[in-house]
Amino acid sequence: MKKETEAKVVTFTSEAEMPMMPASVASTLYNKTGSWRYMRPLYANQTPPCNAACPAGEDIVMYLQLTAQGRYAEAWQTIVRENPFPGVCGRVCPHPCESECNREHLGGAIAIHCQERFLADYAAAHELDLPAVDAPPREERVAVVGAGPAGLSCAYHLRRMGYQVTVFEAKEQPGGMMRLIPEYRLPRKVLEREIGAIVALGVEMKTGVRLGVDLSWEDLQDYAAVFLAVGQSISRELGVPGEDAAGVLHGIEFLAQVKRGQKVGLGQKVAVIGGGNTAMDAARTARRLGAEVTILYRRSRAEMPAIDEEVNETLDEGVKIEFLCAPVAVLTENGRVRGLRLTRMELGAPDASGRRRPVPVAGSEYELEFDTVIPALGQVADLSFLRAEVQTERGRIITDERTATACPPVFAGGDAVTAFGTVTAAVGSGKRAALAIDCFLRGIERPFPDLAHNVQAAPRRRDPTVVRFENLNTAYFEEEPRPQERQLPAAERVTSFAEVNQGYGEEVALNEARRCFSCGTCNECDNCLIFCPDVAVLRGDSDDEPFVFNYDYCKGCGICVSECPRHAIVFEEEVKFTKT
Amino acid sequence: MKKVVTGNYAVSWGARLARAQVIAAYPITPQTSIIEKLASFCADGEMDARFIKVESEHSAMAACIGASAAGARAFTATSGQGLLLMHEVVHWAAGARLPIVMGVVNRAIAPGWSIWTEQGDTLSQRDTGWLQFYCETNQEVLDTTIQAFKIAESVFLPAMVVLDAFVLSHTSEPVDIPDQADVDAFLPPYRPQLKLDPADPRAFGALVLPSEYMEMRYKMQKAMERALVVAEEVDREWGEHFGRRWGLVEPYRLDDAEIALVTSGTVTGTSREVVDALREEGVKIGLLKVRLFRPFPHQIIRETLAGVRKVAVIDRNISFGDSGVFAQEVRAALYRADARPPVFDFVAGLGGRDIVPETIREIVDYTLAHDAPTEEFTWIGVKT
Repeated sequence: MKKETEAKVVTFTSEAEMPMMPASVASTLYNKTGSWRYMRPLYANQTPPCNAACPAGEDIVMYLQLTAQGRYAEAWQTIVRENPFPGVCGRVCPHPCESECNREHLGGAIAIHCQERFLADYAAAHELDLPAVDAPPREERVAVVGAGPAGLSCAYHLRRMGYQVTVFEAKEQPGGMMRLIPEYRLPRKVLEREIGAIVALGVEMKTGVRLGVDLSWEDLQDYAAVFLAVGQSISRELGVPGEDAAGVLHGIEFLAQVKRGQKVGLGQKVAVIGGGNTAMDAARTARRLGAEVTILYRRSRAEMPAIDEEVNETLDEGVKIEFLCAPVAVLTENGRVRGLRLTRMELGAPDASGRRRPVPVAGSEYELEFDTVIPALGQVADLSFLRAEVQTERGRIITDERTATACPPVFAGGDAVTAFGTVTAAVGSGKRAALAIDCFLRGIERPFPDLAHNVQAAPRRRDPTVVRFENLNTAYFEEEPRPQERQLPAAERVTSFAEVNQGYGEEVALNEARRCFSCGTCNECDNCLIFCPDVAVLRGDSDDEPFVFNYDYCKGCGICVSECPRHAIVFEEEVKFTKT
Repeated sequence: MKKVVTGNYAVSWGARLARAQVIAAYPITPQTSIIEKLASFCADGEMDARFIKVESEHSAMAACIGASAAGARAFTATSGQGLLLMHEVVHWAAGARLPIVMGVVNRAIAPGWSIWTEQGDTLSQRDTGWLQFYCETNQEVLDTTIQAFKIAESVFLPAMVVLDAFVLSHTSEPVDIPDQADVDAFLPPYRPQLKLDPADPRAFGALVLPSEYMEMRYKMQKAMERALVVAEEVDREWGEHFGRRWGLVEPYRLDDAEIALVTSGTVTGTSREVVDALREEGVKIGLLKVRLFRPFPHQIIRETLAGVRKVAVIDRNISFGDSGVFAQEVRAALYRADARPPVFDFVAGLGGRDIVPETIREIVDYTLAHDAPTEEFTWIGVKT
């Protein structure tokens, strides 16, 4: 109000002149009520637990949002920005994302692996190509040693950044351990498509070249950086008498032979020793070849490192598991396996892995008849080729969080470094290496999280705080059940190598994506816009910023914060004045 | 068209025929069937209104205030505790001069928890600046609802249409439901003086200094005074259109009466029967039904009751520490009369306790037996 009006004395000469009620003579927009505020809402984009848990650093919430809108191609592209193997990971990843999913409390975790698989299968069916390399070409050449998931992931991300990449693989075909995953879990064509897509981006693939044999360190001098992703290729020995008898087949060799279509000398009564995924794969493969199979594991079910669902499927297929036993000798007859001498085990104090250590029970030895023994006790890395400068510890290469070894410009990742033992972790490791090599070559410093946390190639702006169930406004959500993935019946499964898990179709995928809470991530539900009493929530003009606050008028009441179902908005104290 | 409907449905039909454009309400016994019916009218497309579900009566009135300020004809209904929760914005609606119409089913106030009739809920809103009509029959409920819009929109004050819980709200009677075209001819669309308009943005209801506030209250009172004239005029028009009139008050067999009962709501119907019976017995008695409580028709009441020897007011309410509310108002109205008959006050039927012909006979007998009241008011039917 102007000074002169303020000073004027208001008089009325009749009732008609009197105001009926106070009404301003003009808009009150001049009154910036935002100055009353001491708390401020912010679209923080906090981190959903699935995203935080994904070893490959996928933006799961974002691709679920896109799926919910039927934007399948974009959803798939969102995955492959981080991980070029959604078809593989959708099938074989132990999905730690689902273990963290907040939906668990209201009907079951989102079936994220099925969603990933659905999108990969959609991309395959529609022959979608990986986005073309649009970064300007870079002079530097980078060598990747090992064409497993870590090496291929690194090559893929470096290629996308414009580098010239050559992958050297000792085996005749790229894929590493992914090649050994049985057909009934991972059909060959799925793997071939995803590897082929990486090669098609312009990655040079040299197979049948083993570092230290066919390739020397001097040959690598031409490369600006080297990424070692050699994995763990040597099977652990049983370490008992009779191990070299005919009829003892190591798990990964057995799986490789079957995958290659070679004839395998498998008997009728097969023992598989070990409790990891290789043991399950070997047992189920042997079962499909017509054998009667028993898994022998030295601890109990709770300590089994294999994915729980895999163990269940193995049991469903008629494989027996004998817990708390360990072989002490392979019994032979004429140089052939005839059985195992075993000892009973009991669980003692926890070991370094946190699991209880199995201890033999004295005098409990017994014998069982087998004609084939498949040890699947895990693998160790073959590091015989290494230069001395690259430091190792207990069979693993030592790196820092940038995957750099003690010998720059040599980087290393995957199971040879961390032995996390999953495709997804290896993919994440390769990506981390690619980002680190890029920084190294360009002389850029950037922080990397420790190896237990993931990294993103195309990060979205977000707050690293992880949203938990108690942060959500559950008044907006109902209990809705998790859908069942289609699966071949167990009796039918053991008759062939047909894929066991069948995923689900579009309708289920669409509903499942809609069931996602979208923790911490705005999905434009409009609640803030509707509830704001001051019309201080406005639509933004980009996908990154669907809404913006008009802080000129936001009084900081916090209604938007509490009414946001997914905790995409946080409330923070706003310091406007500081004492001078 | 005649239909057998409850008092509540009569309210709903009134709002429908008045073409209310926004209905915001929260359910509460015994009002619920009013808004259920309106909700189904809206859902079935029989009413072109926006039905807003809200989480409380305060919000219901707040939504009506917003709608009315934007120029819409707004309607709500509530009862008892709901009206009390609404109280702050009940004042606001009047102060903002918004002609909202609200059906209120009289319900006794808790605790003790009660769903039965008593006038305490509406009478405690006496000073909010709302017009208040107390109805005797379902037909009157329907007619008054429509009339209320016309009167309210003429003086820019909101209006309550009040009916007794269950005795009227849930009791069916044949009701003449007028044709929409006839109602349209009687009630033109609402034309606000001031309204929210994005093209001409203004803020309503802001701070007013002592230099102007009093004038706004003066103007509200003037509007109330005008409402007495307008209500009379609107009722006359109603009569012309539909052949029925209700009056601001209704005298019954009062012409040569020595004793006048003063009643409101459904007690009136029962009292008419008793008056007729007593007349048969030779008692010179009549009654005055007070239909319009705010603005209070002082002058008509003064003139109507001036000739009687005794006045007996039946109050289904109590102002704690004083007496029944209607009696206070009647006494105040008579104070300026030259010949002031003694006013007996009877508080009866609280919490929905039945007021039957015998109750009214007890009141009359007491009045006949005393020359003047010996106490401020007399309890009827208390189990002492």
